[in-house]
Amino acid sequence: MPQEFRLALVGAGLVTAGSHLPAALASTRVRIEAIVDPAVERAGALARKFGIKPEIAPDVAAVANRIDGAVIATPNHTHKEIALRCLDAGIPVLVEKPLANSHADGLAIVNAGERAAKVVAVGYCLRFWRSTTLLKHLLDEAYFGRVRRFYHQFGTVGGWVPLSGYILNRQSVGGGVLVVTGTHFLDRMLHFWGYPDGVHLADDSTGGPEANAIASFRYDRDDGDAMEGKARYSKTTALPGGLVLETDAGIVTLGETSDSEIILRPRMHPELCEVIRGRSGQPPKDVFLLQLEDFVDACREGRAPRVTGREALESLRLMAELYGNRVQLIDRWYGQKAEVTWASA
Amino acid sequence: MVGAALVEDVLDDHEIEVVPVIHTSGNAWRLIRSGVEVRIADLLDKESIAAALRGCTHVVNCSRGDTKVMLSGLRNLLAVASNIGVRGFIHLSSVMVYGDPPGPDSASETAATPRQPIASYGGLKLHQDLMVKGAARAGMPGLILCPPNISGPYSYFLNAIISSLQTGSFALLEEGSAVCNLVDVNNLVQAILKGLDGCTREAPRLFVTDDEDTTWKQVIDALLPLCPGAPEPMSIERGDLVKLREGFSPRHRINLLGSMKHLVSSDVRAALRKDPLLARIDGALRGAVASLGAAFEDKMRLAVEGPIHIARAEPMRSVNVQLSGPQLRGVRHSCTQAKALIGYKPRYSFANSMEAYRAWFRSHVGQNSSSWALARYLWP
Repeated sequence: MPQEFRLALVGAGLVTAGSHLPAALASTRVRIEAIVDPAVERAGALARKFGIKPEIAPDVAAVANRIDGAVIATPNHTHKEIALRCLDAGIPVLVEKPLANSHADGLAIVNAGERAAKVVAVGYCLRFWRSTTLLKHLLDEAYFGRVRRFYHQFGTVGGWVPLSGYILNRQSVGGGVLVVTGTHFLDRMLHFWGYPDGVHLADDSTGGPEANAIASFRYDRDDGDAMEGKARYSKTTALPGGLVLETDAGIVTLGETSDSEIILRPRMHPELCEVIRGRSGQPPKDVFLLQLEDFVDACREGRAPRVTGREALESLRLMAELYGNRVQLIDRWYGQKAEVTWASA
Repeated sequence: MVGAALVEDVLDDHEIEVVPVIHTSGNAWRLIRSGVEVRIADLLDKESIAAALRGCTHVVNCSRGDTKVMLSGLRNLLAVASNIGVRGFIHLSSVMVYGDPPGPDSASETAATPRQPIASYGGLKLHQDLMVKGAARAGMPGLILCPPNISGPYSYFLNAIISSLQTGSFALLEEGSAVCNLVDVNNLVQAILKGLDGCTREAPRLFVTDDEDTTWKQVIDALLPLCPGAPEPMSIERGDLVKLREGFSPRHRINLLGSMKHLVSSDVRAALRKDPLLARIDGALRGAVASLGAAFEDKMRLAVEGPIHIARAEPMRSVNVQLSGPQLRGVRHSCTQAKALIGYKPRYSFANSMEAYRAWFRSHVGQNSSSWALARYLWP
């Protein structure tokens, strides 16, 4: 049996406490060697909360020679500096999504990983949902025929309160709701269909991180019949999360939870719902655990992780293109024509 | 919602410099999209409040939270505001301080405020009012604004009614003829701005409404176009709604025998069995009871758990009492005092307010977009 993988958790905030640390404790292959955070009291308190005694360090350099890999779960604008420090010390990294808050910073991380021949994995954990894998397979097999249009949405009234409060600052986030919420689907969209041929964004930022965003995508096809898609994200309105595909076979829906199932409403019988399920009878595993073990295996086997730095770079490229092609959503509703800007977005 | 609307309104006004103070970043998205600088404070921490209020001449308290935040937090806020010499403290209270249902004389603020349990929303708000009045008497001018349900864009109240209409759980009393007190969020903002110069040592309590004779039917009729496919709201008789409402907030009385039965009920024993020692004791007791025969065991079970109860599938069981119940309030609160004392004048009518809300809702949900043909599959 191979030795336990010695892991450093960099960042003792909300996502580490709620997801990465429990996943590492659940894994039989991983030992939490260190928790790294400049706020060492917070890191220490986190360790005590889970009854573990890892090394507590303010900086990853202090533990570099004792770890086999690092999970970087810090505010977006700090990813580059921390990842470069790890990779320069020969430490593979699993970086929380998004890889960085700009394409240039992301590229610097990917290049450093390739120079050092070390794994750069990115935390798009929803790729590990069974439904994502199954839908990708079905789309590749053209199970539903051609996809004509797609639509994705996810909205909450507030929520997700990182301890550092970095989401109050557009520069720290690298954007707004599109980055915080939308990036998970943008990654899956790229995974399903590749990079789009045309993109467009409408959002309600007037200087800070946008709270509402509507993104449009166009995929040109050889037969001249383009596939169009839209995605809507909100931090002010509750929108039931999910993906809808208009296909030759009918309407396909997939909810945005780990146990959501792919449902087909056949074109000829829209009153029916066919649930499309894989064969596995096993209960689904936690995606953070699957992601972490994929990272560990990638490091040990010298293979690419499921979500590579290069793939995540495409997300950053897409995000930059969307923000570069944006129009303003007006949010004044009394006797004004704000609705027009939203309806046409 | 009120705080964000106030900040948005004031950001366009160069005569007032606004400092939004938030507790956490989670609910601040609407505010921060403008790039306005926000300050973070914990109402349970006086030092953070003092830092947040630095340089402020007036405070508008729109905070909400658990009982501790509402009481200890407000006490801290009042103390700090008083210490730094704030010239006006506006507190957002609620018409609920007049009871639920309110007395018939509570059309005017001069009506008596009945005693309510502190655990109730009205009781909590009433307690807060007394604290603000105390601080005003001690020297910090104050003003207490009492809005009813708040309408307009981003309205939590209207969002909840829509959800209830969509699920068929809203019941209309007497064909919707009951009084519905509403204030548009931007009318409330106007009242707050007017009130900045109206704070006094008496900290008067003022109703702030749209000043219209709105009924529940008008509200429901204005919202139904946003609920395609929703069933017609069911009708309910006054007696049934009163009964449902009484059942919604049952008065739990201490009952020693009931508590003893609860202690030996299967739910509690299942929890206790997680401890190995208690599991062994429970096993021994169950064995002893079983040894006395099945008939005795059944008798014991019946005595402890009571007979099996199957609820009747009555349509009224699905009524959302929290949302439908306020139709029983029956009093139209008047904003005459607010007009006289602070010069309040509602800027938006009920019709304007609902039109703005509908435009906001359609836009935010995407009902007015070409993608609704697909998006609708994600909605209940």
